[in-house]
Amino acid sequence: MTPKPGLPLVGVHHTARPTWKLAETVHFYRDLLGLPLVHAISARGWGPEDHADFLHFFFDSGTGSTIAFFYYIGTEPPEFAAVRDDYRYRATHTAWRVETREDLLACRAKVEAAGIKLNYQIRHEVIESIYFNDPNGYALEITWQVRPFTEIDIADANRTLEAGIALENASRAGQTPFTSIDEVWRNKGERLAADLEVQ
Amino acid sequence: MPTIFVLDVPEFLPLVEHAREVTHLKVSGPRLGYYRVDGEGEIKLNRKALGFKPAVWHGALTGGLVGRVTSFDNDELVIRAETAP
Repeated sequence: MTPKPGLPLVGVHHTARPTWKLAETVHFYRDLLGLPLVHAISARGWGPEDHADFLHFFFDSGTGSTIAFFYYIGTEPPEFAAVRDDYRYRATHTAWRVETREDLLACRAKVEAAGIKLNYQIRHEVIESIYFNDPNGYALEITWQVRPFTEIDIADANRTLEAGIALENASRAGQTPFTSIDEVWRNKGERLAADLEVQ
Repeated sequence: MPTIFVLDVPEFLPLVEHAREVTHLKVSGPRLGYYRVDGEGEIKLNRKALGFKPAVWHGALTGGLVGRVTSFDNDELVIRAETAP
């Protein structure tokens, strides 16, 4: 089941990232992946900062969601926007959902038929995903979820993060460095064993 | 005696089923959403024997443990009691 959210959200409207490759980006999302271009803003730069004139455009990614880009006219990419071949860079990514494994495999076929390099197909705990990059070097994922999250997943997620936060706090306090996942497993296991004792 | 806790969800159940077949491992539960696997001496697991894909294998201990991981590579992991050599 889904936990009752504190905010009345109904999903993602858009995520947005900058691009300095207008033609390639439109070709990739609209023509190769077939995501309809549904909205584009063209505006003078405005606001408190020295903001470049820009295009801001949106591709439909299903059920009301879009993926959006900013194209800042006459600018060069700043150093912080440079693509890096690093898992920490790839941590920022967009993962689209499909309903079934058949749909995932159909996506894979379409991606490969379009000449896009597929990086991986990976089965995780509750999702299976394909991974590829857009022309900007941004990481994209398409995934299907094998089963819904349950109360067991929710309770477990909270136990995992409680352990992680306790270890982070201890590390910040200069007590013990937080260096490996083993510490999370042990901290979590000790807490769980104690909870089972009092059951 | 080392212990691992295995979340009672489909993706980790092969580990529980495997442990039931191993004489020196004792399975109990599930309680609070976890199976408890206690090992006489050590708990040794093999990825291929569990049929785990790499992503699930590398998170196979996510339920938590009592003891310490003495080895963990792409195909095999060993957990021993805290005081064991």
